[in-house]
Amino acid sequence: MEIILEDFTKRFGDVTVIEKMNLKIREGEMLALLGPSGCGKSTTLFTICGIHRVDGGRVLFGEKDVSRVAAQQRNVGVVFQSYALYPHMSVFENIAFPLTVRKENKNTIREKVAEIAELVHIGELLERRPEQLSGGQQQRVALARALVRKPGILLLDEPLANLDAKLRLEMRSEIRRIQLETRISAVLVTHDQVEAMSMSDRIAIMKEGEILQVASPTEMYQQPVNDFVAGFLGNPPIAFLNALVQDGKIDVLNGKIQFDFPRNAKPSNSTKIRLGIRPEHYQPNNPIQIPGTISFVETQGRENLYDVKLEDGSILRSIQSSAFGTIEKNSQVSWGVQPDQLLIFDQAGNSI
Amino acid sequence: MSLSAKLGYVFIAPALVLVAVFFLTPVVLTGIFSFTNMSTATGITGGAYQITPSLLRDLSGNGFEKKTLDTIGTESYQVSQATLQVAREAGSHLDLLSELEADHLGSNFKNRREFERFLKKLQNRPRSTRELKSTSPHFKKSLINERFETEIDLRNSLVEMQANLSEEQLNTLIQAAYTGWIWTTDNFHKMVILPETKQILFNTIIYVTFTLLLFNVGFALVLAIATFYLPKGQAGVFRALWLLPRISPSVLYVVLWKWLTWDTGFLNAILNPLGVAQRNWMLDTTLNAWFFVVLINGFIGASMGMILFSSAITAIPKPLLYASEVDGANRWQQIRFIILPQLKWPILFVTVYQCLSLLTSFEQILLSTDGGPGSSTEVWALAAYHSALDNYWGNLQYGYGAALALVLVIIGVIMSFIFLRFFRFQELVRQPRIEQ
Amino acid sequence: MSQNFKNWPILTGLVLATVPIVLMYSYLVLDTVTDTKPGSIFPNSFTLEHWRFLYEDIEGKANIWQVTLNTLVFASSVMLLVLSVSSTAGYALSRLNIPFRREFLAGVLILHAFPSITLIIAIFLILQLIGLYNTLIGVIIVMTSLQLPLGIWIMKGFYDSVPWEIEMAGLQDGASRFTVWYRLVLPQVRPGIIALGVFSFLSGWGEYILPTVLAPANNVQVLSGYLASLIADDRNFEFNLFKSVGLFYATPVVIMYLFFQDKLMNIYGGGTKG
Ligand SMILES: Nc1ncnc2c1ncn2[C@@H]1O[C@H](COP(=O)(O)OP(=O)(O)OP(=O)(O)O)[C@@H](O)[C@H]1O
Ligand SMILES: [Mg+2]
Repeated sequence: MEIILEDFTKRFGDVTVIEKMNLKIREGEMLALLGPSGCGKSTTLFTICGIHRVDGGRVLFGEKDVSRVAAQQRNVGVVFQSYALYPHMSVFENIAFPLTVRKENKNTIREKVAEIAELVHIGELLERRPEQLSGGQQQRVALARALVRKPGILLLDEPLANLDAKLRLEMRSEIRRIQLETRISAVLVTHDQVEAMSMSDRIAIMKEGEILQVASPTEMYQQPVNDFVAGFLGNPPIAFLNALVQDGKIDVLNGKIQFDFPRNAKPSNSTKIRLGIRPEHYQPNNPIQIPGTISFVETQGRENLYDVKLEDGSILRSIQSSAFGTIEKNSQVSWGVQPDQLLIFDQAGNSI
Repeated sequence: MSLSAKLGYVFIAPALVLVAVFFLTPVVLTGIFSFTNMSTATGITGGAYQITPSLLRDLSGNGFEKKTLDTIGTESYQVSQATLQVAREAGSHLDLLSELEADHLGSNFKNRREFERFLKKLQNRPRSTRELKSTSPHFKKSLINERFETEIDLRNSLVEMQANLSEEQLNTLIQAAYTGWIWTTDNFHKMVILPETKQILFNTIIYVTFTLLLFNVGFALVLAIATFYLPKGQAGVFRALWLLPRISPSVLYVVLWKWLTWDTGFLNAILNPLGVAQRNWMLDTTLNAWFFVVLINGFIGASMGMILFSSAITAIPKPLLYASEVDGANRWQQIRFIILPQLKWPILFVTVYQCLSLLTSFEQILLSTDGGPGSSTEVWALAAYHSALDNYWGNLQYGYGAALALVLVIIGVIMSFIFLRFFRFQELVRQPRIEQ
Repeated sequence: MSQNFKNWPILTGLVLATVPIVLMYSYLVLDTVTDTKPGSIFPNSFTLEHWRFLYEDIEGKANIWQVTLNTLVFASSVMLLVLSVSSTAGYALSRLNIPFRREFLAGVLILHAFPSITLIIAIFLILQLIGLYNTLIGVIIVMTSLQLPLGIWIMKGFYDSVPWEIEMAGLQDGASRFTVWYRLVLPQVRPGIIALGVFSFLSGWGEYILPTVLAPANNVQVLSGYLASLIADDRNFEFNLFKSVGLFYATPVVIMYLFFQDKLMNIYGGGTKG
């Protein structure tokens, strides 16, 4: 089912948290809602499922306006961050609950629960109580409960936040597998960009109640609409460098380094710009060299991360394979960039 | 209206009704009743009109002529359908009544002697003096002591008597004859001038202060701190023992104290062989009575403080305590500088809460000394109870009792509002997160 | 707790202070099955004579089993009423969007500390007016009403600690608010229900003033009144009998207390933790 938020507005008392947001979730896709804490991700999610009411605009499920429809009638499956399993019920009863309140008959319930338990691999846990399950297993039960009545859409609020690192990796692919197998439209709320990039078809990135960009992970990584998006995606994060446009060229470090503006639409003379340089693009063999001193080395095993301090005090980051040895702190290096890999932002932060 | 609001109303309605009828209404009614002279004599539903001899006596000094009053006060004996009916219902001899009805209907007699003389001459006359004496009163006709349900009835009867009453006098008389309750501020007046008031006020202060300081806060602190230093098992035993008075039915609990202090009770059994004269330790002197009243209430009151203080002490981070010991603090210093400062709020809370409940409690005193000896342990709440609900004279003074209680109710309302300050109210009323 | 200090001075002090309690309660049990010579503190013979009230009525007093039944009816009705009314009202105040929620809550908070016993005179008159004086139903309703603010307050506290997500999940699963409350939330507040239930039962069981004032008739007498009237009666003054009746009266209380001690702490601490 396709879900559309149209000029969606939400207030708590006199505080407007979200103003006129527009968002479309396509049939069968997994859309990640990504943004820093407090930007309104959960609020959006709760509005889609009907726990919050809209203060303006509409929520459409397919053609149907559900803005005034109660949560119970919306047929939305939700997995909460805390999983919200019912502690006094067995796993079976938990999963069966949505069907029991619909008064389906006992045999149908048993079949449906067995089927969904099979899908999420918890067939042998049905008799247990939630407190006898590991975090990952609880997560699976929560998924099963959300999916058992075949909802039109699945909402996941930070589903991996409570898991340890290893389980997180496992559940990441599990959730994706289950979503793909059921072909259900899904919204994944997260503030972890890796999660968003690895699990979703498209990412909607939010800041202070506003959606900045909706795009596929690759597109968003390569062509962020502004410096906030560029900075939010990528780990280790992107580094920024102030520069000036001069005669169709880019001046860096007060004109010590100059190279041609890599795009067609050149800004006018003396425009101040910011260059976004990702660590994987600041490398030894690139043409435009920007020299500096290594101020910090972090060994990550397979790779090393270097902070390079330039003469004007700004810092660039570089990530390099550790196979060729580690360069000492305080060494002078003269690594470079490739103009067409640079991200260029204007003074307001928008991409050029 | 939203769905959840509808459910909310259904959910809260029973509580609202019950609290409104049996909690809020009594608060208001206590105020209302305290401005009346309601008592057993006046009844509570409103009264009747009745002229009593003493009322007439009172009026004679008030510009009423003696002759008029005498007319109202006269009684006569009359054979009428009405009086016959009364006699029949009272079970008087039927033959006699039939004879009276057949031959003497309408006869009038000036007084009892005359009427009885007449009865004795009848064919079916009463066979004994006793029967005669019991029959004659049914035929009495008089305004004196007769109950009139409404003002009109009394007025008509008075007019019938042709007693030469002016309209004004008639009204005064009727008003004075009313037996129901009336609005008055006398209760408060009485409260101020009666010397007993000073006594019970003083008693209340003694009772609350000593019990509160010595036990509800003081000894509760001792218990909480002491059990904190004991191994878990021992501490548990003491806490359980000290909760016993609180959970025991109060009647039983007080019986145990009586057993301890009675003439042939435990204390005497121990002290007698040592040469102390046998006595009722609870009631023999004012001092002893107070001693036991404070003890009885204090043993009950210590538990609440104990529980609250204990949990506050347990909440102190352990490293803080260990650190102080490593720094060489002795136990007293540890209590003084680490534990007590943490108990500031709980102590304040318990003080306010228990002060309020002590001020208004009287159950244990009622059951143990009942305010005695004399009225030396009569506290305010007990005085209210005694005057309105249970006294030796049987005439329960609802109005005066309510006025006494009103003082406590007002104190209660004020202190309950102070109580609000102990809670972070804003946090308690956070908006529900499900908007349906 | 701390090993750096000696325990015996504390222990001695506490034991001394606790002596009266221990004495009173141990003699309570002992004296019901023994006789003691006057003026002595040690019993000299075993007897079950003091328990005769169980099978023969004491002169001028109601039948003990009738009285016990009354007490049971009184205490259980108060318990059930308090539980059902507080668990619904507490939920409404904790979780539902009702208008005037703030005001209701402030009211509950103020009333829960209010000394309700001061209202007894007015209540006595109200019961007379509405004709429930001298009935068990009247006392039950009054007792319930007076306990409600504390009960609602306590239940609200327990509801507040139930995660919102459980309710949200319930709604998403298609359950109505009522079903969510009944099937999902109520089971989470079981400790509260048990604590409040036991507390109101014990309060009802031990209550003296209300039944005595509002329903003094013999046929609706409860154990507290029965015991008090035994003691007030000067004709047969017999402590061993009082104690036997008292022990009979207190045993259910003590048993419940032993079972539910931990759960009760919260409420006997003034219901402040909630
Ligand atoms: N019930 C509420 N009343 C008032 N403000 C609220 C309420 N719920 C959320 N907010 C505010 O709305 C904003 C968005 O909240 P929301 O929970 O949607 O953030 P989020 O993006 O989910 O953050 P997080 O990643 O921390 O979960 C926050 O500033 C928050 O303080
Ligand atoms: Mg959130």
